[in-house]
This record gives sequence, C-alpha cells and structure tokens, in this order.
Amino acid sequence: MIKKIVLVACIPIAFSSCVAVKGYEKVNINDPDMELSEKLCDRNITIFHSYREAAVGANGGKTGGGCGCN
Amino acid sequence: MTNYKLLLFISLFMVFGICHAQNTGQNEGDYKKRVLETAEIDILASYYSQDGNNAAVTGGLGTEELTDITGTLVIAIPLSDDDVLTVDAGISAYTSASSSNINPFDKGFADPFVASSGASRDDTWYNLTGIYSHSSDDRNSIWSGKLSFSTEYDYTSLGFGGSYTRLFNEKNTELGFSANVFLDKWKAIYPYELRPFAPGGRGLNDFLFLENTITGNPDYNPSFTVLTDENRNSYSFGVGLSQILSKNIQGAFLADFVLQQGLLSTPFQRVYFSDVADSFIDNFHLADDIERLPDSRFKVALGGRLNFFINEYLVVRSYYRYYFDDWGINSNTLSIELPVKIAEKFTLYPSYRFYNQKAADYFAPYNEHLSTSQFYTSDYDLSDYNANQYGFGINYTNIIMKQHKLKVGLKSIDLKYNYYKRNTGLSAGIITAGFKFVVD
Repeated sequence: MIKKIVLVACIPIAFSSCVAVKGYEKVNINDPDMELSEKLCDRNITIFHSYREAAVGANGGKTGGGCGCN
Repeated sequence: MTNYKLLLFISLFMVFGICHAQNTGQNEGDYKKRVLETAEIDILASYYSQDGNNAAVTGGLGTEELTDITGTLVIAIPLSDDDVLTVDAGISAYTSASSSNINPFDKGFADPFVASSGASRDDTWYNLTGIYSHSSDDRNSIWSGKLSFSTEYDYTSLGFGGSYTRLFNEKNTELGFSANVFLDKWKAIYPYELRPFAPGGRGLNDFLFLENTITGNPDYNPSFTVLTDENRNSYSFGVGLSQILSKNIQGAFLADFVLQQGLLSTPFQRVYFSDVADSFIDNFHLADDIERLPDSRFKVALGGRLNFFINEYLVVRSYYRYYFDDWGINSNTLSIELPVKIAEKFTLYPSYRFYNQKAADYFAPYNEHLSTSQFYTSDYDLSDYNANQYGFGINYTNIIMKQHKLKVGLKSIDLKYNYYKRNTGLSAGIITAGFKFVVD
C-alpha cells in the first residue's frame, strides 16, 4: 500500500515539468468533454456509489455526511 | 498509520512547492470577462433500481430491492461580474424492501425475502444547498462558501464549508483547497423485535411475542442496549491540483481526508451471533443485536484524472482512485469514458468502471459474528467485493440556441444509463437525465 501512495504522490512531480500552453492553444483543452471535474449529470451516479461502496472522495463529490450513507 | 501520514504530508508539501514555483506569468490580459454571462438552470432527474439478497437490515440475508427517484434543480445566478450564487434543491423519494423489514411483522407471514408494508417502506429526502463564489479581477483566485441542509425521516444534516482555488502558470495549473463540516443527527429507529428490550419495554411480555409463536429458541433474550449518541459529525479537507500537460492532455490529482465521529453505524441494521441460539417468528430470524461500529473513522482518498483529446471525434476520460480508512477498508476505483462526437450536436458516452474493496475489520456474513466481539456488522456495503459498471449516454448540445421561449433557451440534454453488478449478487441500474437552460 505504501508503494501505491508514493506512486500517487509522484503525480504532482510529473506535472511540474510541463510547458505552459498559451491561451490561444487551448481550443482542444477547452472542449467540454475535457473538463476534469465530474459532470453535473453524473452527480446522482456518484451519490449512489457513496451509498453502496465504502470508498468516497477524491472525485469532486461528497466525502461523507449529509445523508445516511457512509 | 504514522508512515501513511508522513507520506501524505510529503505529498502535500510537493504540491505546494510546485505551484509556488510555477507562480509566474499569470496575467493574460486586462480584459475582464463576466464569470457567468447569464443565469443557468440545470434540471436533473434519475431513476435507480437495485436488487440483491444480502440486506443489512436483515443481518446480511434478505431482499435488497430498492427503487429511488430523484429530482434536482440547480440555478446559477450571476450577481455581478465577479460573483455567482448557486442554489441547489433536490428531492429523493425511495421505496426499500429491506427498510420495510425494520418491522416485518405487520402483515402476513414474516420473511426476510418479502417486503413488508410498514411506514419504513418508503421515505423522502430533501436537500437545499447555497453556494456563493467570488472571483478575483484577474480570474486567478476563486473563493466560495457553502451552506447546506438536508432532511429525511430519521436523518437531518447541516453542512457548511468553503474552498479556495488559485490558478498559476498562465492558467495551466490550478490548485484548490476545500474544507467542509457536516453536523448530522440520527433519529434512531431500531428493529421492531428489539424495541421491547429497550428500557421501559415489556420484553417477552410484549404484544409481539404474545401474538406470535417463537420457534427455535423460545427464550429469546437479545443483548440489546439503546444507543446513547445519535450525532454524526464529518470534517473533510480536500486538495486538488490540475495541470494542462500539453495542447491535448490535462490531468488532476485529488486528495480528500475525512474524519467522522459519532454514530457511524445504522441503528436498524440487524446482526446475528453464531454463539447464540436462533429464535424465529415465521421465517424471520429475530435479531441478536443491532450493528455496532466504532465512533470514529478516518478516511483517505487519493485520486487522479487524465483526459486526452485524441481528435475532434474522440476524447478519452480516465480516472483512478485509491482509498483506505482505519476500519481496514481499502479500495481501488478505475473508470474510463470515451466521448464520441457523432455529429455537430450529438455526442455518445460509452463508459466502464471497475471497483473493488477489502472488507472492514468488523464485517462478517449472516450469523457468523460472535457475541463477545465489541464491533460487528453484516452490511455487505462494507464487505469484500468487486463491481463492474457499464454505461452508455448521449448528449445533445444546442450550439446556436434559437428556441428561446420566455427568455429561456435549451443549451443541452444528457441521457445516461448505467448497469452495476457486484460479485456478491447485487445488481443495480440507474437512468439519469440532465437538462441545461440559459436565461437571457
């Protein structure tokens, strides 16, 4: 498990080496399907996962509280 | 746990360091665009249905049949060039066969695989959330505050929180922090046959036991005590770092840390002990106790998203999450979605999601717990399992928005269906629909 955490922790290091993309070059990045957040229409799917699964969080959804789920 | 905390601290430190290093060249110009040009209205609806044979209400054996209909209205209103108020109101109405068996004795033959007709059979959940956000003039900083309230028959929640997001590196890097507190309160409802054994109850002289014959062990004497704390408080802290990696790739790292305290078990979920003689009314096994779980839980979720713009027809959206908590659960979530643009206004969304988890230390199946244990649950949501989910959706986007009526124009429609199957037998389907409107 420690190895997995270290692996995930290394992700930000990979980000640091990126070259800045100019605003006028972000046409593809600005495509609605490229959004990094969960889509609003998927919210109820995430809520059902939070009821049926032990894991929550790290997906932009709720992390506990507010309902009888975990 | 010490090693984990140290590694997490190092990870967070790296995130801060990298973003500080990239804090150059933030200004792309002095033009100040409104954060939200016009008000937007989202209407969401979903229908969820599940079935299985491991209901926690009946101690891990019994029908899990459940249906839920949810409707949500989200209105985002621009208050000024920089400020947006979002109001989010939702109603969820569900019917649950397992919840109905909190009292399985109110009609006919009691059986954990047959729904009862009692009041606990259905319930309605109401939610209202308000979010106020403010963006800085250069649009590189965003503050937000949130207040929420939700209620259902046996559960009430008050939540508040806030977030701060900072954009760096010509808006190529985004770092966000969020903190939320939920102050929740249960109204404890216990399995019907245990209530006569609460203080002031009549025990075996209760009407239930005089009217029905106990088979198996006739000297039914559960080790039941009522709960003393009905509060559940949740404190969460989240960090998100997103980065544009190239003209066609961007990714995000997400971390959530959650501490929960108070009543973390569900009061109406039964548990059966293997070292206690079994008592029945009809086919229904009388509870030995309710689920008991620790009053504290610390959860960590670490996730990453990576999206690829392959070409004008195809995008790849991928997601991975590793989760662990101090109840012994750890899990992996992996999902991929492939938006395929089939026409100017239509996009298809095939998707697949895999999930697995290791059981909580306190989980055992039906009738396998020992009465000498301090904590126990037979809730299969806390068991060892893996699940596959297959989804398909379609999106219609009205690019020109000609059909304005009453100053409201339809911007997009989303329809999705997802099928979810666990290797424990539970299966579920959910249909979701989303309609987005803009107001002139």
